[in-house]
Amino acid sequence: MSETPFRNPGWAGNTGEFELSEADVRGSAFVGRRPPEGVHPSTSASYPFMRVERDPGAKLFDGPWRERFEKMLTRYPTAMAALLPTLNLAQELRGHISPETMDEVAGLLGLSSAYVRGVATFYTMYNKRPVGRYLIQVCTNISCSLCGADEVLAAFLKHVGAELGENSSDGNFTVVEAECLAACGFPTCVQINERYFEDVSAGDVPAILKRLVSELEGE
Amino acid sequence: MAYPYRHERETRVLSEGFGDPRARTVAGWREFGGYRGIARALEIGRAETIDEVRRSGLRGRGGAGFPTGLKWSFMPKDARRPHYLLCNADESEPGTFKDREIIRWTPHQLIEGCLVGSYAIGASHCYIYLRGEFFESNQIMARALEEAYREGIVGKDILGSGVDIDITLHVGAGAYICGEETGLMNSLEGRRGEPRIKPPFPAAVGAFGMPTTINNVETLAATAHILRHGGDWYRQWGTDKSPGTKLFCVSGHVNRPGNYELPLGFPLMELIEDICGGMREGRALKAVIPGGSSVPVMSADECRDCSLCYEGVEAAGSMLGCASVIVMDETADIVRQVRRMAQFYAHESCGQCTPCREGTAWATRILRRIEDGRGTEDDLDTLLQISDQMTGTTICVLSDSLAAPVISSIRKFREDYLALVRRGERVGVA
Amino acid sequence: MASNGRKADTVTLTIDGREVAVPRGTSLLQAAAALGIEVPHYCYHPGLSAPAQCRICLVEVEGAPKLQPSCVTIAQDGQTVHTDSELARGMRQGVLEFYLVNHPLDCPICDMSGECSLQDYVFAEGRERGRAQEPKRVFGRDDFGGDVLYYGDRCVMCTRCVRFMDEVARDSRLTVVERGDRAVIDTFFDSGLDGASFAGNVVDICPVGALVSKDFLHKARAWDLDHAPSVCPNCSQGCNIELHTRDNLVQRLKPRENPEVNGHWMCDYGRSRYEWMNRTGRIERPAMGRGEERSEADWPGTLEALAARLAGNEGEIAIVASPFCSVEALGALSQLAKEAGEAAAAVFRSPRAGDEDPLPGFPLLVRRRDLAPNVDGARLLGYARTGTDDGSGGLDEVAAHRGVVFVLGDDLNDQPDDFGAAADLFVYLGTFDSPAARNADFVLPVTTFAEEEGTFVNAQRRVQRFGQGLRAPGSARPAWLVLGALLAFLKSGKTPANAAEAFAALADEIPALSGMSHESIGPGGVRLEAAHA
Repeated sequence: MSETPFRNPGWAGNTGEFELSEADVRGSAFVGRRPPEGVHPSTSASYPFMRVERDPGAKLFDGPWRERFEKMLTRYPTAMAALLPTLNLAQELRGHISPETMDEVAGLLGLSSAYVRGVATFYTMYNKRPVGRYLIQVCTNISCSLCGADEVLAAFLKHVGAELGENSSDGNFTVVEAECLAACGFPTCVQINERYFEDVSAGDVPAILKRLVSELEGE
Repeated sequence: MAYPYRHERETRVLSEGFGDPRARTVAGWREFGGYRGIARALEIGRAETIDEVRRSGLRGRGGAGFPTGLKWSFMPKDARRPHYLLCNADESEPGTFKDREIIRWTPHQLIEGCLVGSYAIGASHCYIYLRGEFFESNQIMARALEEAYREGIVGKDILGSGVDIDITLHVGAGAYICGEETGLMNSLEGRRGEPRIKPPFPAAVGAFGMPTTINNVETLAATAHILRHGGDWYRQWGTDKSPGTKLFCVSGHVNRPGNYELPLGFPLMELIEDICGGMREGRALKAVIPGGSSVPVMSADECRDCSLCYEGVEAAGSMLGCASVIVMDETADIVRQVRRMAQFYAHESCGQCTPCREGTAWATRILRRIEDGRGTEDDLDTLLQISDQMTGTTICVLSDSLAAPVISSIRKFREDYLALVRRGERVGVA
Repeated sequence: MASNGRKADTVTLTIDGREVAVPRGTSLLQAAAALGIEVPHYCYHPGLSAPAQCRICLVEVEGAPKLQPSCVTIAQDGQTVHTDSELARGMRQGVLEFYLVNHPLDCPICDMSGECSLQDYVFAEGRERGRAQEPKRVFGRDDFGGDVLYYGDRCVMCTRCVRFMDEVARDSRLTVVERGDRAVIDTFFDSGLDGASFAGNVVDICPVGALVSKDFLHKARAWDLDHAPSVCPNCSQGCNIELHTRDNLVQRLKPRENPEVNGHWMCDYGRSRYEWMNRTGRIERPAMGRGEERSEADWPGTLEALAARLAGNEGEIAIVASPFCSVEALGALSQLAKEAGEAAAAVFRSPRAGDEDPLPGFPLLVRRRDLAPNVDGARLLGYARTGTDDGSGGLDEVAAHRGVVFVLGDDLNDQPDDFGAAADLFVYLGTFDSPAARNADFVLPVTTFAEEEGTFVNAQRRVQRFGQGLRAPGSARPAWLVLGALLAFLKSGKTPANAAEAFAALADEIPALSGMSHESIGPGGVRLEAAHA
């Protein structure tokens, strides 16, 4: 089973005759590398904030990240409105939102720390504690669940060897259950950091994990 | 170019560029006829733009089906205060996956729609509230917007018209409730995404206290085409009450799930049998949720003559919602799926209103107990009653959205529940 | 036209079959209240914004598609509203059931029991039995710092406390953490409410037993407490309060609404300082004689002897009075002094804080620098401030005065043992004996403000009445009564029968008070200038 070839990485469709490369489907060919300082202020908040690279001790914010933070601020009539973009940026850098991060973000925007905590805990994408290098979010909502999401989740847990929500011993993986990821036509949908893996079946799991590990080693 | 799921019976207006990476660039999008809608809007003026959309009969594609032109006309006409257009790209209704496709394949289609909408309501700033999880599509959107700024399509003096319209991509962080328009406004303002009590309505007091209109991605995308071709052109499809085409997100137990663009009023059974290639492994249809998880479940019988338009689905006892058709065959375990939906709503309840905060979580616990074979027939009555207590009693309709599938499933699939509470037997495996 | 204009300012609607006219802009909840109908509510509080999230105040409005939250629905002309229809009652019963799904039902050990809105509403309209069978969610208890404890399991998530800190204290230290049924109220991790000087109000406005006072924890049951209307004596703001007493002890202070003074609020400084009202070891019997010769006597004998001494007095009179004394007492003393001789000095001492502490969202309320309730009353009645900001010193002249010395309410703690030794006559009216009172010829036990009725003048120059909450120890008497009796001896007049009469006697003579009476002051007080406008 572990030898099952990995199908259509990143794209849903095991029945169509789809000819595009993964990079085309994901849009990475189109997007390219986006600079940390941002391009235009209008898009400075639109960066993936779950990445493999992270530095829990990174300063909020320095150098190019400071530049992007300043760009973000210009897009809102209030500093408060920049809270989510700022938390996103903080998580992009540090990998999770610790109490210290909340406090620092509050200071940056002139908000109370308690307020920032209230907001940060409202949103599920903020990791309140460190997670594995790859956060694997398996959709188990209705459309995926009808098509075997529970088996996919079980397969991830089995092959990663960690409990749901716990970090694997090598620190590489954390597997969690996710709510609908809006890829219902391509079940099961799994979000791994910034990437969607669609049409995943339990048999695909070892290949996906293998690919992730090899990407880590490649860096 | 082969987009994996397409069908010759489709009417491809919004989805024409799906699967074609060229549509992601300004030049490419112009080849698809892009940016002619906004050009025409700028030519005919604000009032005519709203009229054109009103003529088209376009109804909001985010679920509620409110006429878009009418919504735009609610905005104050004076320009003393900033007006905002918010594009709701926080797609997270279970079963729905259309906006993500629009964003990642045709970002300029959305940019154009945002420009049309902003221009129509007199907004000089549009925020696209993108779902946080959509990292990949968000970046595609970002690149496209950067190019649109470079080309002078967005920003100061758009397309040389003298009109200024800024667009900002704002990225959420994981909360279904931010797809509710007032929750979205709170979230945009940097608050917990808790819906606001109405009145005041957003057109009077919206984002940052200013007049605001919130439109769904698909709605705005459609306005670009309506402006290009005219409202009457759009009415060539669909029914009198539900004009135009619609992206139908089909998921579940069909052979070819996916997004299909069809005229409203398309027969549900043809969608399943023909467009989607029929039921997987030839199994029998058991149930359909036609509009995303928040609407009542339909039995196979109710599906027979159902046509997929707002009024047609309502006549069949459910709602079109955002046309997210979740198909279940005879192997589906209705109780388990309803429990999973309940779990979702309990997880996503913002927790402000008591009936929702307590009701969704309690319903989940009861459903789990029933699923585990420890339920009683009384529990079914309790579920029906608390669903009733969760309907129409809260600020937004999140708890109503759980009540609908719970009530409808107990009414229509009572035997499945009874098998569990009486004999401990599960019906279905999926 | 005038009547038309007025008509536009009011709307008339029917609530539960009764018609009521209310100002335009009134909520249905307030309109119902005008008819004496209490619509149950948790999140609504008159001093805060209304998020309409508790959903228990929903009422039936004819013509509306669904039930409307009465706290934010504005009354319209001709509306017909039902707060007690089957639909409205059924909905409330439903919402109450939701509230109890996870509520621990620990009323027997809950401080709020007896004054809890959840208890009251469930008792009135709840289901006989809850249907929830699953184990309850458990959050446990959290120390918020300051005087505040949080019992998350009892919380109804009305967020009054969060809104108080945001909107009124403007110190956003409380927040809702998490969402859905995992939501709880919390501070920023362990940072708590320490140092937030108005945080005690969150305990008052909590409609259930989620936020409780550590100080009051398990001290008394609500139904055992007597409530006396009073005025906070701990600074010159004069927040309107209630003394909650049991077994003749003050158990806690609670704010009493006064929109012109303190709104619904009071500060923690004032709230926490009540133990002195319960202090024992008081002077309980009148006594005469200096030093070793001191002996207890009865009131008639003592007053007669003192009156005789005063009648024969030829010396100048020096007075030290405390701004903790009522207008009635201070006024009676200055009248007595005027009757008995020439004035040498009339001074008061009062501790003063380094700064003021305003409540940002309700700027009328300020914890004032003067940490005594009647500084402005004392000034009005001719007393001058002396001493330092810690309330000591400044009495060298009085201590060595050779004529008559009156001390009222000032316990002379900082004064030397030979205070008043040179005086011809030294009268000490006080609550506690003091080494500096050893030379007093007369020691007269008087009551504290908590044990008497009277008035204070606050920093807004507002005359405010306070009521009696405690019984006086022994034969201690209100100072206005003691001094009024002496005055009656000297003038062959009548001793006032109560504080109102003592005030009336003053109002006759003091222009600033003329025309005022306890009755006209009422429970909410009157500004001095307003009384004469």
